[in-house]
Amino acid sequence: MRAEDLITTNPTAEAVLESLERLPTPEPEKVEALRRRFAATHAPPTSAAWPPFLEGARMKRDTRYADAPSSHRPLVGPALVMAKRAFRLAFQPFINEAFRRQVEFNEAILDALALIHEHQRVQARTQSLWRQEVERQLEQLTSRLPSPPPGHTPEHTEEKPRPAPSRRRSR
Amino acid sequence: MANVSLWNSKRGTASSSAEAVHQLVPRLAWGDAVGNQVRYLRDLLRGWGYASEIYAEQWDEACRDEVRPARDYARDAGRDTALLVHHSFESRLVPLVAKAKGRKALLYHNVTPERFFEGSDRHVARGSRLAREELVQLREHVTHAWAYSHFSVEELSAAGYRDASVLPFAVDWNAFNVPPDAALRAQVEDGCANVLFVGRTVPSKRLEDVLRVFTAYQRLYQPRSRLLVAGTLYSTAPYDASVLALREQLGPDRVVFLGRVDAAQLSACFASATAYLSMSRHEGFGVPLLEAMYRGVPVVAYGAAAVPETMGGAGLTTLSDDPAQVAGLLAVLERDPALRARVVEAQRQRLAPLGQQAVAQRVREALTPFLEGRPPSALQPATPSVTVVCPGFDAAPDAPMSRLARAVADRLPDARLWTVRRQVMPLQLAPRKERDGATRVWRFTPDEPSFGPDRDTPPSSSLETGVRCAPGPLLFAGADEDVARRTVSRLPPGTRAAGIWAAPRAPDAAVRQALGTRLWELTPGRDLTSLAGELARELDVEGRPHAR
Repeated sequence: MRAEDLITTNPTAEAVLESLERLPTPEPEKVEALRRRFAATHAPPTSAAWPPFLEGARMKRDTRYADAPSSHRPLVGPALVMAKRAFRLAFQPFINEAFRRQVEFNEAILDALALIHEHQRVQARTQSLWRQEVERQLEQLTSRLPSPPPGHTPEHTEEKPRPAPSRRRSR
Repeated sequence: MANVSLWNSKRGTASSSAEAVHQLVPRLAWGDAVGNQVRYLRDLLRGWGYASEIYAEQWDEACRDEVRPARDYARDAGRDTALLVHHSFESRLVPLVAKAKGRKALLYHNVTPERFFEGSDRHVARGSRLAREELVQLREHVTHAWAYSHFSVEELSAAGYRDASVLPFAVDWNAFNVPPDAALRAQVEDGCANVLFVGRTVPSKRLEDVLRVFTAYQRLYQPRSRLLVAGTLYSTAPYDASVLALREQLGPDRVVFLGRVDAAQLSACFASATAYLSMSRHEGFGVPLLEAMYRGVPVVAYGAAAVPETMGGAGLTTLSDDPAQVAGLLAVLERDPALRARVVEAQRQRLAPLGQQAVAQRVREALTPFLEGRPPSALQPATPSVTVVCPGFDAAPDAPMSRLARAVADRLPDARLWTVRRQVMPLQLAPRKERDGATRVWRFTPDEPSFGPDRDTPPSSSLETGVRCAPGPLLFAGADEDVARRTVSRLPPGTRAAGIWAAPRAPDAAVRQALGTRLWELTPGRDLTSLAGELARELDVEGRPHAR
């Protein structure tokens, strides 16, 4: 730590640094292991964007506004579509009120799904880091084992094969 | 006595002295800093002889007897009523303030920037953004404005509040003199070094950094240590879940999330704590820091936002967020009794001017002009001069972007250059005009001493608020900076804005869309003089002759 990284009047930054220097120096392996762990657990900044699989639902969450379906019928169709549009336009305030709770419910459901997705993401990351750590420790343990003599393979064990357990019970 | 003058119909009429001084707060909570401050001011105002009530839109059940519904204020208020509006989050109370009779003033507690909640809580992020918009809207309806730190006053000034000043934060020290909970104390006083953090579990408090620092402390210096976290933690909230997951990933021993604690349990936490640790990235003031000082616990705090100001040179404020380095400070406080004693003594001296009598006197002096109906200084209309926004200018004045920004500002009459101050100081100062050669430079306080893995220019809430309220044309130099991304789509309608960017970073889609053809690229080797002239012509709407 540098003196300019500390704001303190009493004791002075220099006095604090002197005291820091008197601390026992941590073992470099521990410091390195710690830095490695911090780097591994440094989560990328969470995106403000919605998860892609929720985008479709998000676009449809507001049920208050919807265009009237088109019609292929030559004369009656456009008239019906226009009538439906006029109806929506005239009664939009009532439609808004009728669907208000539905929109709130849709938004709550979307938030809950996004939360579950986030939980899964965090959980998967934790599992992955845990597995990596276990593998690393296993590798370390394996490397510390005494190396077997040349030509020694598990197939060349002198141990006699055990007889298969008898099916006949002794009384 | 007859009215002295009519200040402004929107801001309320002025009379000689208020008969009643009420307070308006979006939510009156039990035990939080804003709620405590509101109750303290009510008692103080009643002690001075004013009728005083608290109006709120929502409240905790424990506060039911001391609050009135906000909707009743319009009916209760008269011409001689004064209203103190507390602002700390989205309130939707601006229309009520606008139509209420009597004079009004703002008490700003600061708003946690929305960037902390993006990706973790969309609703709070939206609330934070709207709260800053309300801060600008309230300006038209109040005559006076105060904040609880210079850091917050700077933002008020940037938002266009004239004569905004600091109101001393009153802490009820007697509330801390609660006997510690014996059971909890016996549980945690087992010979371990206890590191304490008190606060809500929100992203701005950076609990993940607290966990990292504590892990480093436990692994490198003190295996027999414990982290106590006092504050509500919901395993269903995304941020809280990520904190719990990080605890599993880092694997420190003895991390205790106590949840919401009562006063006796909090006393036990402080009584058994070796040190108080805060890695918070945003504080409008920071009451727990002072509480730790009062209880004789040495404080190690990251120097973001108003933290250096709250600490006032006491405790250990670090501008480094490296966990191993901060852990070293915790170890020093535990192992060096002489140094620890000096820190605790300096903290005690820091609290000396914050005694309740002294603070009450200073609060009265600050509020007197408002309470007595003295008109504020006349508003001077802001001149619509060009503002060049170059966040990195102060940190790297010789960089091509900074040289270009200076060249543009020098070419335009009355133009000013806005940047983010490089150093964090114990006491922030409102942005003031400073001369850097021929250039008028305004330096805004950064929210954090350092920012991001690449140590980019740190964000500044004051600068962002200032940009949103700038009266004249704007030039973003560069347009690839965070301040451009956050403000360009929220500028007042009709604002003339341009931008310039330099590789390897590039402006995002929203900036490109907002600026359209008024976006230039600063390529290596490009002639800065001709480009500055081109930009100056684009921004100078009145077509005045250029200085050079």
